[in-house]
Amino acid sequence: MNNSQKHTARKEGLVIQEMPDEVLVFDLEINKAHCLNETSAFVWKACDGKNSVADITKLFGDKSGTLVPEDLVWLALDQLKKENLIENTNEIVVDFNGMSRREVIRKVGLASVVALPLISSLVAPTDVSAQTSCASSHRAIGCHCDNSSQCASGNCANGTCAAAVRGGKKNIELKQQK
Amino acid sequence: MSKQTIQNDFFTDKQIKFQAFGVKIGIEAEKILYLEQIYRLLEKTFPTGFEKVQEQEIEYRFIIKSNKTERGERFNLFRNDEKVIEEAGGEFFFQMVESEVRITVAEFAVSRVFLHAGVVAWKNQAIVIPAKSYSGKSTLVAELVKKGAVYYSDEYAVLDAAGNVQPFPKWLSLRGIVDPYTQLECSVESIGGIAGTKTIPVGMVLMAQYKRGKKIPKRWCPRRLSSGQAIMEILPHALPIRNKPKFVLEVLNKLASRAIIVKTVRGEAKDFATTLLNYFTIQTD
Repeated sequence: MNNSQKHTARKEGLVIQEMPDEVLVFDLEINKAHCLNETSAFVWKACDGKNSVADITKLFGDKSGTLVPEDLVWLALDQLKKENLIENTNEIVVDFNGMSRREVIRKVGLASVVALPLISSLVAPTDVSAQTSCASSHRAIGCHCDNSSQCASGNCANGTCAAAVRGGKKNIELKQQK
Repeated sequence: MSKQTIQNDFFTDKQIKFQAFGVKIGIEAEKILYLEQIYRLLEKTFPTGFEKVQEQEIEYRFIIKSNKTERGERFNLFRNDEKVIEEAGGEFFFQMVESEVRITVAEFAVSRVFLHAGVVAWKNQAIVIPAKSYSGKSTLVAELVKKGAVYYSDEYAVLDAAGNVQPFPKWLSLRGIVDPYTQLECSVESIGGIAGTKTIPVGMVLMAQYKRGKKIPKRWCPRRLSSGQAIMEILPHALPIRNKPKFVLEVLNKLASRAIIVKTVRGEAKDFATTLLNYFTIQTD
């Protein structure tokens, strides 16, 4: 792998919230939130367009007071690339010398005392507000419906979600379908 | 034509107009009877009251239109010309209007973050329980109140810019009395509790998933979440996340830096409420 590659963390269209050991990033373009753990966050912040992968590896080693394998930084870059948190992602070539990602993770995990890079992500739901409204897939009693599966009660009566029927109308309908 | 029986600053001819949490609302209908029904429901949702608003300031205008069909009278609700409820039956329509108005306030509240969550206060700190509908949130809140916790809300945790929580003591919506889905509204006083009046710091956020029959050990030791993990868990319950993500993240960061945030699987609300209050007392003493 080319450890002289230099990368720049994307900042445009992101809301960034720093925390003691983590960084939260909200991508405004796709309404997706990412939580970068300490290792991912360090690598991401070190991507200033000047530091090479070798530089970042050394900086991280200095910070954690231990020898850090370069693959650890590559693993982080690989994830950052996937989540579009690095500029010009097409230019990033991540090649683990023929090893699979899983093999690299195992190798790095055994060789390193620092945490593996981790990014957890979620798309901000569109229907937080709809959870109690008629736009939900589990509509409340009184909402318009075409069939019982649209109603939380499982009972669509005359085009309106009604109270549950004892024995469960949804179940009865399912049994009939079978 | 029926006569208007409610007389106040928020009621004008064929219109209700008010401001709640900085959101300026107008509701129009052909019949004053419809508006009065909605107003009575909104009074229960916003027991702390409304503020006045001028006609030209209204940002969210709801219009109710009814039509006669072979299935009886059906109602449509429009919000700023967009149809939000279609062909609803009369029996529950007004509750649905209340719900849409409440959601609009929650989504666009000024300088506030509304989380879909139950909230109680214990020893002057809030326990916030984010959860989806039909997850037993109100039932757990009711059990906590019965054990002496102060009621803040069974629907929303209203966070201010500092990450503190203020009361939203709407009437409790309890299911499972008539059947698992029918919701009954009751005041906190009717279950022997009291509602909070002050803004308080958040002491704990509980991410709990209900599992029927789950037994909680005597020495309950839930998984503590890091600030980042906690915010990721809470985010799906934050109503304005798409409208104002920067503000939401700032507020949640303040909350997460101070509160205990735990994740667990819980069993029946009655048993779990005692465990939860004991744990919170030990952790905060």
